[in-house]
Amino acid sequence: METDVTIISTNISNDILNNYQDYVLVKDLSKLLSYQKVIFFLTLDHKSEREVLEIYKLLKENNIKYINITNNIEHVLLTKYLKVYDKEKVLIEGNTIEVLKNTKLLKRLGLEIPFMVDLSLLLKDYNLVNDIFLDKEDLVDYLWE
Amino acid sequence: MGVKELVLKYNVVGIISNYESTFKFDGLVKDLKINNLENALKMVNLDNSILDKKMSGLSLNELWKLELASKLNNNIIVVGNLSKFLNYKDILYFQKLFIKLVEYNKKIVIIDNDVKVFFNLVKKIIVLENNKIAYITDNFYDDNLYKYTRMPKIIEFIKYVNSEDDILNETLDIYELIKDIYRRVS
Repeated sequence: METDVTIISTNISNDILNNYQDYVLVKDLSKLLSYQKVIFFLTLDHKSEREVLEIYKLLKENNIKYINITNNIEHVLLTKYLKVYDKEKVLIEGNTIEVLKNTKLLKRLGLEIPFMVDLSLLLKDYNLVNDIFLDKEDLVDYLWE
Repeated sequence: MGVKELVLKYNVVGIISNYESTFKFDGLVKDLKINNLENALKMVNLDNSILDKKMSGLSLNELWKLELASKLNNNIIVVGNLSKFLNYKDILYFQKLFIKLVEYNKKIVIIDNDVKVFFNLVKKIIVLENNKIAYITDNFYDDNLYKYTRMPKIIEFIKYVNSEDDILNETLDIYELIKDIYRRVS
């Protein structure tokens, strides 16, 4: 796999890790730079987006590939590629925003949509915007100025 | 007032803290010592097909639900890490279950680092740091709360819009927010 990925799942399980055996599971963040390919399993969920971005930046600078398996839906926006699992099976994958546009499918699976994407799509239904805004400042500027 | 007094005073309390589960069992699910196991499984949204499975082969999501099933007879039910092991639909399901359990005079304590889990459910939010109360609030829009944990995106958005002038109503519901934006913009 060439690109960095976020994975969300309907029923998160350790079994997902079997699909990525060439990636090293990171348990201790201080050892992050010791590997070429790393995988996080719920490890980053309670970190802020800023902290996760800092970790990703560090990995990029050191040419380390990464996969983040998360239940924190906001973290999916921090990589450009998203995979959605239902147990051990990939249901949908691709460009993150394109995958997130499948709101009916994702909601039916019990998954949430990142707030700004959800808000943009709902505002689109009201004809108040015609695109997805990931930045709240851009959206507010568009709506009120 | 300590945590115990607060837990007894309110039906549902949210605690911002890390939670380490002590729920451990190595055998088959059907050998778990849970009163009326099949009924308990139904309540936590698991079906009987799980009975013959080994605990070691379960997903984290299923383990979380079994841990709750094992506590349903307690008068005070303590659960943690909903945001870590449950998906959004599960969280909504268990929020409704907790409200039902309160009707049966149970008290619910939810320990999580994600405030969103507590939306429309808890009367008090307690922040614990090193097992001591660091902060207590009943207001999800209380800025001080977010010195200890992440601010949910909906609150962040409304606070940002209102930072210059109070335009939007403080809500925890995205559909209410959409209606409010529609009214203000149009």
